[in-house]
Amino acid sequence: MRVEIKKIAKDLKIALPDLITRPVGRKMYERVKKQLSVIHEDEVVLLDFEGIKVVDSSFIDEFLLRLIMDSRSSNPAFFIKLQSISDAIEINCESVFSSFRRLSEDRVAVITDRIIGNNSVYLGSLSKPERDIIDYLRVNKTVRVPEIAHYIGKSEPESEELAEVLLALRLIRRQKDGGNFCYASL
Amino acid sequence: MQRARDAALVLPNKCRDAYSFEDVLGHQNSLYGNEVSVVDLSRIDFIEPYSMIGLLLLGRTYLRNTGQKLTLAGMQQPIHQYLSRMDFFKWGCFAEAVELDKSKQLKRSSFSNRVVEITEIPNRERESIAAITGIIAVFRKRAEHILKYWMADSTVDYFVTVISEVCQNIFEHSMDSGYCAVQTYSLAGEHVLRLVIADSGIGIPRSFSAKPEIVAESNARLVEMALTTPISSKRKAGYGLCQVNAIVEKLRGSIFLRSADSSVAVLYNRKRVGPGQVFLKNGLTGFPGTQISISLFG
Repeated sequence: MRVEIKKIAKDLKIALPDLITRPVGRKMYERVKKQLSVIHEDEVVLLDFEGIKVVDSSFIDEFLLRLIMDSRSSNPAFFIKLQSISDAIEINCESVFSSFRRLSEDRVAVITDRIIGNNSVYLGSLSKPERDIIDYLRVNKTVRVPEIAHYIGKSEPESEELAEVLLALRLIRRQKDGGNFCYASL
Repeated sequence: MQRARDAALVLPNKCRDAYSFEDVLGHQNSLYGNEVSVVDLSRIDFIEPYSMIGLLLLGRTYLRNTGQKLTLAGMQQPIHQYLSRMDFFKWGCFAEAVELDKSKQLKRSSFSNRVVEITEIPNRERESIAAITGIIAVFRKRAEHILKYWMADSTVDYFVTVISEVCQNIFEHSMDSGYCAVQTYSLAGEHVLRLVIADSGIGIPRSFSAKPEIVAESNARLVEMALTTPISSKRKAGYGLCQVNAIVEKLRGSIFLRSADSSVAVLYNRKRVGPGQVFLKNGLTGFPGTQISISLFG
């Protein structure tokens, strides 16, 4: 499902090109949640920020962080991918995600549609091998655990564990591959 | 007339930046109890946005405490013109001993491009959001001129973030209204952009007093924590000021944050890369609320 943020903001009569403050974030979240009521399990939700220049930390907290949490725990679970984010959106999300991690045991990350400032396709903090898996999947789209293990130089159980962490963070997908599983990019 | 002159407080010529303005704040106690009703600005030959808003808050606090407006007297014409142009008198906190002749007022069209006039940020959510949206709209419209020496599309967006984050803190935390102003000016061959957002509310130390788990060895250290750590007096986490700090670091500018009787200054402009120089001060003259001045130099 593709969610056009600009269109929703216009419908809600929110002044553009900036999405700022908590009340605006809450309004947008409620509207997007309604749209998501029809998605099916493991669907990729493309949040398209075309035409949006700035989202501030209050908006990110009320809108994006809540959607990311929902993507992990809601029924159905889904995946989020950000499209057309500006440099300011990128730096603001990075800052909020990093602060979130400093204050909680948990961490958040989200996939982007293009290579961004960290030279990869995600926002958030990942370990080196986790990042390698994301990059490997970006190129190869679908891979099995032995291939991951070979690429990142870890054992197969370790590699599978890392891939499962990325799956739990909703950054990669797992799909059936004959009698086994393989992992796929969003 | 003589009596009024006797009861005037003559302010020192210390309105060039946040640091020198401390001398002005040091005089505020002499306003009370001495029947002072006139503030003499005759010695002031330059006033930048932080000092201007500081003076405005000083007058507003006096008005609230005494029910009387202070009268500004002896203003040199350029100072009077500037204050008038920046809408300083619009907020009704001061009287003018002599009103500026209409023919002397600065034309808005010729001076509009490099400023955002003093705008009130109310302490009610809905009105505040409207005010912040308005400030950002004016800023975007004039950004090409305000950010002439630092121009990049991303710089405009970074500043929009900064305005949004700091202004929201007023209605979220201060329990009072505040003011915002922006100006780019040149001084001693240096271009300076100054964004000032200030209130006279409860201040950072008091807003954290209900959170005993947040402990700092001094008020200045607490103010620094508010800037560098994602703590919040209302929520599990507060991202706003950390975000502002990260952006100012990226732009290699500087931040001066003052609250109650303490301040922190972080200077990223002194070095091309790496962490900024940090200066903490405790035991400053008590001044209610929180005031922040963000500067870029070029």
